[in-house]
Amino acid sequence: MPIPLNVLEARQLARHVQGPQTPPTEDIREKVFELEAKGEWIVQRVPEPWLPVTTKYGRIKKIPVGHTWHHKSCGQCGHIPGYSTSIFWLHRALGLDYDDPRDQTSCTAWNYYASATSNVGAQAAVAMRNFGAAYESGYFPQIHCGTSYGHYKEVREQLVAHADLRDEVRRICDRLGRPFVMPEEIVHYSEWVYAMRDEFARRRVLDLSNIDVTVHPACHYHKLVVEDAIYDPDVYGGQRTAVVSAVVTALGANLKDYSTWYDCCGFGFRHILVQRDFTRSFATLRKIEVMREEADPDVVLTHDTGCVTTLDQSQFAARAHDRKVGVPVMSESQFAALAMGAHPYRVCQLHWHNTDYRPLLEKMGIDWRERWREFEDDLERLKSGEKQFLTWEDADA
Amino acid sequence: MPETVLIVGGGPAGLEAARAVADLGGRVVLVERREVLGGTPDEANYAALTPHLGSAQEALDRLRAGVGRPEVEVLLGSTVTACRGSVGDFTVTVSGPDGAGREVGAGAVVVATGFTHFDPGRETQMYGYYEFPDVITLPDAEKMLKEHRFVRPSTGEPPRSVAFIQCVGSRDRRIGNEYCSKVCCGVASKEAIEIRRLLPDCKVYIFYIDMRMYGYWENQIYWPAQEQYNVNYIRGIVTEIVGKGDRLLMKGEDTTMGRPLEVLMDVIVLSVGMEPSRGTREIAGILGLEQNRYGFIAAPGEPMDPISTSVPGIYVAGAAAGPRDLEDTMGTAGAAAARALGVIRSARPAAATAGA
Repeated sequence: MPIPLNVLEARQLARHVQGPQTPPTEDIREKVFELEAKGEWIVQRVPEPWLPVTTKYGRIKKIPVGHTWHHKSCGQCGHIPGYSTSIFWLHRALGLDYDDPRDQTSCTAWNYYASATSNVGAQAAVAMRNFGAAYESGYFPQIHCGTSYGHYKEVREQLVAHADLRDEVRRICDRLGRPFVMPEEIVHYSEWVYAMRDEFARRRVLDLSNIDVTVHPACHYHKLVVEDAIYDPDVYGGQRTAVVSAVVTALGANLKDYSTWYDCCGFGFRHILVQRDFTRSFATLRKIEVMREEADPDVVLTHDTGCVTTLDQSQFAARAHDRKVGVPVMSESQFAALAMGAHPYRVCQLHWHNTDYRPLLEKMGIDWRERWREFEDDLERLKSGEKQFLTWEDADA
Repeated sequence: MPETVLIVGGGPAGLEAARAVADLGGRVVLVERREVLGGTPDEANYAALTPHLGSAQEALDRLRAGVGRPEVEVLLGSTVTACRGSVGDFTVTVSGPDGAGREVGAGAVVVATGFTHFDPGRETQMYGYYEFPDVITLPDAEKMLKEHRFVRPSTGEPPRSVAFIQCVGSRDRRIGNEYCSKVCCGVASKEAIEIRRLLPDCKVYIFYIDMRMYGYWENQIYWPAQEQYNVNYIRGIVTEIVGKGDRLLMKGEDTTMGRPLEVLMDVIVLSVGMEPSRGTREIAGILGLEQNRYGFIAAPGEPMDPISTSVPGIYVAGAAAGPRDLEDTMGTAGAAAARALGVIRSARPAAATAGA
């Protein structure tokens, strides 16, 4: 669609003349600090150095560069482990300090959203238990999963609004022997990737100028507690969240638009559990086919567990019906890691992905046959008992 | 102290208040931020006024003529920057175009700083106003209609289908604007009629939650739009606008039929509501006026006294106090003028007694 930029530029200019708008929502972080001042909880400060990013209504959010406690995702670890590994690999590539805890619990939010199981107190207690664990480690939480991230922000609202809930959860944390802590910011890993995108671009070793990318923004990132998501006037005129899209542009790939970008990936929380055929149909007919028809991308990038798995793993069903599918799907962390020279199997673990990613790798200039041979050698070493597991040294060998 | 009323804002409310003060024998200092008088109807290029489609320009010219008299001193390119004193004896600092400050003595103040149209980019994603040139607002449409044309901004070609979306920035609890802006239903219907007159082959739709046609607008606009001009009113909630090829795909729900809605349009007009103008927000701080939760100037004596603010001797006229149509605007302007002069005249003997 041709967009004469002067029309839109004139609107932006007029908007600037009108002056700043009053945000329609209160800044909940102020309430979080007020509760700390009343002695209700500890607020864990964002460690220095941090980067400022702008959220939907123009407020500044602090994104810690390093010294982060990594709240991993059940679905990433279980289905697409290269997702989390890529996030860690990116931290290591920048020489950043982080903590990969072994005692983090699931947020239990998928059950909550899908089936309305559990209850408010239990959900909030799980969140505060994890925040307490992060605080005790001295590291600041960075949350890998979009569902956990969105849910924790809802929990924060509930805890701020309801003194009785705070009392209930504080009692539970006391019994667990955990401190009662609310982080100053609730940070998703994709916000960190967004904030660090220029650093990744500087370390890019592949030319991505011929790679066309469509982006699926995750519902639980930008539709839950909407005022806390990152927006940037330079990305779609500040009209949709800038995470992922800005990373694509920074890495030198081509950001392509499609009309159903706002729609869910099809996961739907409940649907993937009890109406999976609907999920498969929605993911392929409303998302992948529309992308192919309108943008013909080489890859779909997204930033949540359920979105990667649903968009990727639904395509086999549509392929059986000769539908127009076949677009590889991965997270922007995997894509950025590949661009910076990460191993497609040892680090990004694309062999866990369902849709054929090899044409993409070839187009990116990655010799996947040689990389696969290296990975098979690794497997032989594991099989022979020479090694028990792969290490970071193996990954970067 | 002469019977001077300082009026802030040179739109319809300020102009009418100034004329009324002068008619009643008072003196006026009228402060206007822009270099011309006329306010939002002038700045936003209003073409025809609702409901009779009379010329907005001619109406503004009449209002401007009303202040062209020696009792009214007009300070253009000027803003109020400070105020001290109290009822009967305010000293207001006015900053002129050269930045120099001037002190004006006034017995009372009328605030007529008006509204601004809701910025549809604030409710991001749904409307794509900053993404798609063919998504426009009521004032954008008004500007084209003033030039007797209506085209797709992206191509310059006349559209085949146009949709209005009502309640953009109004009656919306999610964004904190729960109020009805009162005029958008009438203005959208008026513009729909004008588009149908200009482009008889163009289909025009209005997607609404409820059509709110106050008073006589029902017969003056609503029924003629449907019966004479075949404008289609569809009760539905539009949730999103996306680009589809070179057209706009409007998604939502048809709440009469109870089914999802996806239709292609060439131009989509957002019926943006009213919010307090920047001037209204700023003057409230300078004069120490209470604002309501939406940022408009509060009138604590409503409904029987919609004029008096929280500060004695300072009155509010027009849409600085909330969503107002022109009828209400002109009415409150006259009332504010009368109250301002009245308070000065009743204060003078008391002041003289106190001084003696």
